[in-house]
Amino acid sequence: MSAPALARTERVETGAEVVPETGGRSDLPPGTPPLVALQGITKTFPGIVANDGVDLDVMPGEIHALLGENGAGKSTLMNVLTGIYRQDAGRIILDGYARDLSSPQAAIAAGIGMVHQHFKLVPAFTVAENVHLGWEETPWRASASVLEARTRALAERFSLKVRPDARVGDLSAGEQQRVEILRVLARAARILILDEPTAVLTPQEAQDLFRALRAFRANGNAVIFISHKLDEVIAIADRISVLRGGRKIATREAAGATERGLAALMVGHEITLRKVRPRRPGLPVSPEPVVAMEGISALDDRGLPALHDISLRLHGGEILGIAGVAGNGQRELSQVVTGMRPITAGVIRIDGRLAKPGDAAGFAGRGIGHIPEDRLRAGLAPSLSITDNAVLREYGGPPVGGFGLFRPWAAGRLARAIAAAAEVAVPSFEMPARNLSGGNQQRLVARRETRIAERVLVAAYPSRGLDVGAIETLLALIARLRDEGKAVLLFSEELSELIELSDRIAVLFNGRIMGTLPTAEADVETLGLMMGGQRQDRSGRAP
Amino acid sequence: MKSALSIDRRRLLGLGTAAGAGLLLPPSLRGAQAASFPAVAEKDAVIAFGHVGPVNDEGWTWSHDQGMKAVQAAFPKAKTLFVESIPYSADATRTFRQFATQKANLIFATSQYGDFYKDVTKRNRGIAFMECNGSSLEENLGWYYFAHWYPTYVIGVAAGLMSKTGKLGYVASFPVTSCYASTNAFLMGARSVKPEATLQVVTINSWFDPQAATQAGVALANNGCDFLFGIMDEAGYLQIAEQRGIKAAMWNTDMRRFGPKAYVSSVVIDLKAYYVDQVAKRLAGTWEPKATILPLGKGVDRDVWGETVPEAVAKQADAVREKMLSGGFNPFAGEIRDNKGKVRVPAGQTMSEMDLYKWDWSIEGVAGLGA
Amino acid sequence: MGWRLQRTPSAHRAAALTGRILAILAALACAGIVLAMTGRAPIAMGADFWDTATGSTAGLEDVGLLVTPLILTGIAVALTTRIGLWNIGGEGQFGIGALAAAAVGLHLDGPEPVMLLAMAAAAAVAGALWILVPTIARAYAGVNELITTLLLNFVAALLIAWVATGPWRDRTGGALAATLRVPYEMPPLGEAGHWGLPIAVAVAVVAAAALTFTRFGYETRVAGANPGAAVYAGIPVRARIVAVMLLSGAVAGMAGMIELAGTAHRLQGGISNNYGYLGIMVAVLARGSCLAVLATAALMATLLNAGIILSAQGLNTSAVLAVTGLILFFTAIGDELAHYKLVRRPAPTG
Repeated sequence: MSAPALARTERVETGAEVVPETGGRSDLPPGTPPLVALQGITKTFPGIVANDGVDLDVMPGEIHALLGENGAGKSTLMNVLTGIYRQDAGRIILDGYARDLSSPQAAIAAGIGMVHQHFKLVPAFTVAENVHLGWEETPWRASASVLEARTRALAERFSLKVRPDARVGDLSAGEQQRVEILRVLARAARILILDEPTAVLTPQEAQDLFRALRAFRANGNAVIFISHKLDEVIAIADRISVLRGGRKIATREAAGATERGLAALMVGHEITLRKVRPRRPGLPVSPEPVVAMEGISALDDRGLPALHDISLRLHGGEILGIAGVAGNGQRELSQVVTGMRPITAGVIRIDGRLAKPGDAAGFAGRGIGHIPEDRLRAGLAPSLSITDNAVLREYGGPPVGGFGLFRPWAAGRLARAIAAAAEVAVPSFEMPARNLSGGNQQRLVARRETRIAERVLVAAYPSRGLDVGAIETLLALIARLRDEGKAVLLFSEELSELIELSDRIAVLFNGRIMGTLPTAEADVETLGLMMGGQRQDRSGRAP
Repeated sequence: MKSALSIDRRRLLGLGTAAGAGLLLPPSLRGAQAASFPAVAEKDAVIAFGHVGPVNDEGWTWSHDQGMKAVQAAFPKAKTLFVESIPYSADATRTFRQFATQKANLIFATSQYGDFYKDVTKRNRGIAFMECNGSSLEENLGWYYFAHWYPTYVIGVAAGLMSKTGKLGYVASFPVTSCYASTNAFLMGARSVKPEATLQVVTINSWFDPQAATQAGVALANNGCDFLFGIMDEAGYLQIAEQRGIKAAMWNTDMRRFGPKAYVSSVVIDLKAYYVDQVAKRLAGTWEPKATILPLGKGVDRDVWGETVPEAVAKQADAVREKMLSGGFNPFAGEIRDNKGKVRVPAGQTMSEMDLYKWDWSIEGVAGLGA
Repeated sequence: MGWRLQRTPSAHRAAALTGRILAILAALACAGIVLAMTGRAPIAMGADFWDTATGSTAGLEDVGLLVTPLILTGIAVALTTRIGLWNIGGEGQFGIGALAAAAVGLHLDGPEPVMLLAMAAAAAVAGALWILVPTIARAYAGVNELITTLLLNFVAALLIAWVATGPWRDRTGGALAATLRVPYEMPPLGEAGHWGLPIAVAVAVVAAAALTFTRFGYETRVAGANPGAAVYAGIPVRARIVAVMLLSGAVAGMAGMIELAGTAHRLQGGISNNYGYLGIMVAVLARGSCLAVLATAALMATLLNAGIILSAQGLNTSAVLAVTGLILFFTAIGDELAHYKLVRRPAPTG
């Protein structure tokens, strides 16, 4: 009952904030209508109010960041704006005219384009073909060279470097993203929505993206930029709106905003950001490695070499961070070290004893827990119940297993214990795991894995896609395992996270280790160079 | 879905009329009047027909359906029921049991359903059952068939006279008794005028599969056969013969419109009189479980000769038919060897109607029909 | 204020059940309207059917005889769906199971209980062998099992036709194109029924229990729901695929033996009577749940029996098939609609 009231107050507040100072665009004449004005957007799903009277103004020539925890309603709001969902209440006003965006096609026609976190490109097609796919301006009969020439012209117009004749499947994530953006811009988009665009980019690629976005903004267009990364948002955006629990909490000028202040708005209370998690005083590092990999090579899913001659030692009581641009062998390495992937050369020892590669059950049995990179593909069976998923690591022995049995009641008790420890509120343990939010899925997986991680926890991108609060919980959990004397292998795309947490950082590039640095000697610049393929090795020793 | 292998149905041999109820009745019934089936008023009568194929198949089932229509015309007040395309499976039991629950007085299975049928006859002793191409008699179950081997022999004579290569072809369904009798009679007729004639059989494991029958016809023609015969319900191989400029004879009905130049004749069946007679007996309370093999000229015959059949051929073949009709000529007399060279019917012996009905080996010169 | 439909991520159980019941009623209503338009009396026919099907022991026994093979072939398919695969070859495994049972029954002698057990064992092994090649191809070479299992159905049909009309043909005149009567029969239950039905129900219950209460069942469910998660948890996915597929073949083979020893008694071409294919429908309607197979098999058997009853009343068999199709069609719609619920639309704020 306070909701509409709150929304109304906010409207007044943001309105007052917006009109005079339009994000540094003093050339806008007074009274210029916002390019996009969302008014009182409400969207409910069963049991959830995803958006509750959200107002949002995006001015021409503005990069507007949308911040919020998982489940704050960012995606729903953008799905309403791009015509995928229809709002239950509220209006969408474009250029001062109320519009009815009843379908994605209508949204595209209205100049709204979105680049999703997961690209919607056809890997087997060339860049030019992807740009022209499903586009009504594509000539009816066009040769490859015509399409490529058109693509080249478009790329020049929007200052996006792409290779029109390259197959999308062969491109890096950054290049694919540029193709996606070009696809959207080619369809005369004036409002470009980007969902977590930097998650897959190197720092250098991210800078290229920002340059392109600024150029787009300079032509009077607008960008809506969804992100979790507070520093990046402050750097690129003109204004920042924060969503929480389906409502818009505030819109702030980026100039003068602080990470701490934004984080507080997102989670609703002051939290410690980037808290250094110091090692427990007197915590020893085990003299002998818990896991020792010598000369490991392995193939990827397509049977191509993915890891070359990898040697790594992982000691108890330390966190070894693995840095690298996604797709340089991290996935394969995390699978080799957890026994999920066979190797073509080398040996793996756990506690000095040879381990049988490719025997995931054996590795788990020897105390290696694994928070996998893609929990929906590996860590969980989304269609099975939460109970079934919670016991995935412990069903083999009592109390759940034993004598070839599976005891659903014991499984239910174990699942409740794991959920309670993970602080996940589960309405029904019989509900499919896919009904849980991403953050809650990850919390459950993490808690499940720490139960079996007697010796080692392998955490692959544990904070990916999570909100600040969930990341906080996970990183604290990892630090605690270290303090208990366990070894942690941490894969992350966030250099700051690695630097903050790891004792040593190894960098993967093209399936090879470019070097291992003690964290004290690692800085973003050095790591960035190594991620680009430069070798550095100052110390392979544990601290 | 109709099973690709609905076995049963039709044919088999048999000539002379009732090869004698007394002979075929189980010993327990012999002499004693079988269970009596009291007279029924026409308006209360329910007559049921269970068919193996669709009534519009232009062949076997169509012929039986004509019989039912004759019954309807003769007894307009009686109720008739029919179900088509009954598979040879436990579904047959269920279907015939439905006829029983519908208070049918006389039920015809127009094809052999064997045990599936007998499951019903056993439990409904008060109902009269008939089975076409049946194999045994019970107190409430009779069977009937056609002496198709006689017209087949006549057509064989024509084939022998018209074939230049002496290689005859046959499209068979399954290696069952009706196919043995049909192929053997056909070749014996041909050999009576062309002793070196041989018969190549292709078995297609179906009673109704136009594509397979057509392919079989092509294969036989490619093999040098210049006269095709078969036991199929459709005209597939007749059309092949027409295209290839060779000759063909058919089963069940007149099919000359599908290949007027190739058409020689057909083993045509006619059940109208038989069905009307059976129903009349049942209404009158005089029906008895008998085995009947409808003789040449009374339920089974050759069709009117095709337009391209030379007069001399027709005359010579019809002379044989006349001898059978008037003089009781039986061509199925020893010595007959099987296709492995063994003498099966010694000289001086003649095969009985039941021998012909249950014929299950190929004579010398027939190749391709199972054992 | 207004009302609108809202989609929920998973259907509520009561809603799903209601959806199904409404679907069946809708299909029957459609069929009734068509019948009425063609000048028949649908209500009278329905009443007649109901009387015949449920009002007599014979009618119930008929349904029982039909439901027995359908439960087993349905279980055969449902088992494979739990590991994410489809056994389209139930028809062939059914036939081969019947063939193996006939081989034992016709060529070996012994006391009836022993012989029945031997026939069942032979049928199960034969059914498993019949799916062995598709299984290996699937587990080790990734060959799509839909195609391979399907193709073997035709091989099985030809093989059965050959033995039934060739080497094992009844030469005594007892049957055309069928083998001699197998002298060993399932113990009778009632007048026309036999012990196959309780056995089939037991198989379904055991299968359901195995999936829920055994480690093997749990691993199968995980491997079927997400092979990636199974690899992650160290579950030997290939071994589970092999075991489940062979089990599926064995169950379908058993169904063939029960049909042979309980109902058909002779091996002949049409022995499998489409039970293998109908089993796919049974399993799909049951959504892979072994206990629900009992209900959907009963529904399917009732429909088939209705087809026979109505055809004896002069209704064309294709019309009956059309009604069956309608029921499946409406069920699919009902399942989808069960995901929706009617909610009150909040008063517009703008």
